[in-house]
Amino acid sequence: MPIISAELVHAGSMPSAEELQSKLLAGDSLLAESADHLIEVVDVLKSYGEVLDAYSTNLIFQAEQQFLLPFPLFKYLDGENSPAKIWRHLNHDRINFEYAEYCMKAVLWHGTGGLDAYLDSEAFAAGCAAIIRRKTRRDPLLGLLHPLFTGFLIELIRTAATTHALGQFWRVMSDLFLDLARAESDGRVASIEAVVEFIKDGLVVAAANPITYGVEVAGEHLWVLPPEAGLTFLVDVAVPYVEAVFLRGLPFLGTVSFNAQAQQISPDQAQFAYGALYADPLPSMGAGIPPSLLMQDMYRHLPERLHSWYRERTRGEGDVRVKICMSFQKSMFCVTNAAIRGTFPHPLSSTDPAKQAANRAYAAAWSGRLAVARTDCLDTSS
Amino acid sequence: MLSLLLLIPFGGALLLALWPGNPTKGRMRTVTLVVLGLQLAWSLVVLARFDPGNSAMQLQESLRWVDSLGLQYKLGVDGLSLPLVLINGSLTLVSAICTRDIDKRPRVYFALLMVISGAVNGAFLAQNLLLFFLFYELELIPLWCLIAVWGGANRDYAATKFLIFTAVSGFLILGAFLGLALLTGTADFSLTPITSERLSMGAQLLLLGALLVGFGIKVPLFPFHNWLPDAHTQASTPVSVLLAGVLLKLGTYGLLRFCLGMFPEAWAQLAPGLAIWAAISVLFGSLAAIAQKDMKRMVAYSSVGHMGYILLAAAAATPVAILGAVFQMVSHGLISALLFLLVGIVYRKTGTRDLTVLHGLLNPERGLPFTGSLMILGVMASAGMPGMAGFISEFMVFRGSISAYPLATLLSMVGSGLTAVYFLLLVNRAFFGRLAVTPITDPVVHGRLDVNLAAVAPRETIPAMALAVGVVAIGLLPAGLGRLSEASTTAMTQLPALAAALKSGGLG
Repeated sequence: MPIISAELVHAGSMPSAEELQSKLLAGDSLLAESADHLIEVVDVLKSYGEVLDAYSTNLIFQAEQQFLLPFPLFKYLDGENSPAKIWRHLNHDRINFEYAEYCMKAVLWHGTGGLDAYLDSEAFAAGCAAIIRRKTRRDPLLGLLHPLFTGFLIELIRTAATTHALGQFWRVMSDLFLDLARAESDGRVASIEAVVEFIKDGLVVAAANPITYGVEVAGEHLWVLPPEAGLTFLVDVAVPYVEAVFLRGLPFLGTVSFNAQAQQISPDQAQFAYGALYADPLPSMGAGIPPSLLMQDMYRHLPERLHSWYRERTRGEGDVRVKICMSFQKSMFCVTNAAIRGTFPHPLSSTDPAKQAANRAYAAAWSGRLAVARTDCLDTSS
Repeated sequence: MLSLLLLIPFGGALLLALWPGNPTKGRMRTVTLVVLGLQLAWSLVVLARFDPGNSAMQLQESLRWVDSLGLQYKLGVDGLSLPLVLINGSLTLVSAICTRDIDKRPRVYFALLMVISGAVNGAFLAQNLLLFFLFYELELIPLWCLIAVWGGANRDYAATKFLIFTAVSGFLILGAFLGLALLTGTADFSLTPITSERLSMGAQLLLLGALLVGFGIKVPLFPFHNWLPDAHTQASTPVSVLLAGVLLKLGTYGLLRFCLGMFPEAWAQLAPGLAIWAAISVLFGSLAAIAQKDMKRMVAYSSVGHMGYILLAAAAATPVAILGAVFQMVSHGLISALLFLLVGIVYRKTGTRDLTVLHGLLNPERGLPFTGSLMILGVMASAGMPGMAGFISEFMVFRGSISAYPLATLLSMVGSGLTAVYFLLLVNRAFFGRLAVTPITDPVVHGRLDVNLAAVAPRETIPAMALAVGVVAIGLLPAGLGRLSEASTTAMTQLPALAAALKSGGLG
């Protein structure tokens, strides 16, 4: 007779929007404080940092070296087109750069924030015209394509700009997460609260970093995102990225609801809730699109401490990607927590009722959205 | 030579019963596996010695036993019984292999398993009606014990029901055999085809009717199927494998060997009605399967439907149809055993077989993906997908029957389509979607459940993999089995003509 463990099915509790709001306003971390959580978050962010390093390098390479190439066959090879690397690529001994592209497409498609506004501006159109003029002069295929499909090359340049901006964003985040892992091993970070604070500080330091992007065409340097556009790290790239990838996402298999014909997907993009914070860590017959691609990449760089922690739990290696995704979701709640903490309109210590009300409204807006996310991973009840 | 097929399992059962001391469960299982392995190996030796071109009984052995009763120990094998002997050898071994978590009296359990295997071999090989009956009854009590002692919560009810139904079946069969002796005035119970030609048609129909109901209970055919779903639901997985894979075949073997073989003339008269009975059985089994919520009951009802094809083929009695019936017996044995094994794995890991509760078991990381993949293969084979055993047997049955009974065959084909319906329902409910093993009350909560099923170890799926390989092998290379049985099954189809010729004054 089968003997079924009581732990067969576990339902984590979901804190209400009010609870989340009060935690945000009190400056508490959303993820429960525990030694296990610290290992999960720090180590998963360390592997994520290494993956982001590869993503960032590749996205910047694509935007700079594969710019307006009609057939970018070697775009994932970072310019190293050796037979050995091509073989490793074909043998799938590689990072899934497709995941980075999915994220870029999500940012481009949802189109929020200053970057998107600039991509639709007159100045950007003028810059594109100059680039296309020079490029089509030397490339007959582009010269044929552009008059036939006048929006095509412009859209490709928008894609390249988003790709480069995301590459720059992940450069900062990669360094930040690897620094966090070092800080934890040095003993400077020893709690979830300290993790959130560390990430918040990193975001604040990088907040005003300029986001620029230029390309070389026929030996001439041309700006796609010029310094005078005034785009900065936090407001124009980080916030739209969080909006597009953490919150909205794309309705792929593996999220709670994905049936467009049954009207389960809102026609309003702003209502989307398919992002990383909402994704189901269990792959549900999905086709290998995120989050499973990212989990494969993080598995390649998993620190031994976390790896052995996973081996001792549930199916060991058998379901390690699900466990990585669960830990990743916890760490993403910490990053979101840090981003919210760093972007409150006024200091939380403020005693001015108007400022307090503004902070409350800001926290309420966030907690309303987070209340339907996978907050069951926060372990607030235990 | 054939006696060894009885001596090995019976001797093994005796050895286990008398094994000194208190041997461990593992040792008893090993002894059983060795004995059953030996039995299967000897079945293969018989296969090697068998001449497929000869339609007569081969490798016969006989020994006078109780002459005054007409009981003679006489064994023989032909193209109808040999595949079933092989299936018996294979599936009993599979049952023993997949018996892992037996909680009480392992010595008795394994001994009974071997007694059943020996008795089934005896029934398939017996060339004397009383000897057949003896073996037919001999497997009954051990099987009753296996359900009543090692079954589920409601095992007493299911085991008693099984006992009552099959006891009636045995009573009717014995009655028919004795009636045949009484009416023909001889006490010779030798299995010789067309012994009934001296009887009036009324007497033939009466005896055939008793046999039909007797074997119809065992097959089982609608409306005598009632015991089967309960027996399967309460039986443990290895017992279900034996029950579906081997013991039901005693009924279909009886239909072909004794009903068609001994009463060909009366059979020809009843055949149109039997074809309709077959179609009703097929449709009832399929429709009832659609309504089931328990995976095991669904597979059990699918057996009721699929056994109907054999009655259809027997009614048509064309060479292709009868060969198709043999194929169907073999392929149903393999496929149903495979499905019961897989349902058993699901039950062991999740604690339920309820289709309203199980979801998403194909989940690659946390579910039972390999079990699910084998299940998809099994249900495809059962639904008659080309390339697998089910297609060959169903195609041959339909091809052989459609000219004789087009309406019944077409209705049975609908049943074949319904197989796809209920098995797709099963696969869709239990294996696709988001993993869950609890009822969906709130979709939001359901979408967040963290389900931790134990992984299926590779060794747990080895028996199922072996059966799956068999299903595909017969589907791709059916010629071997065809060659083995063709001479015998073709000879069987000559019986009605032979009977008619004898009746009208001889063959000359």
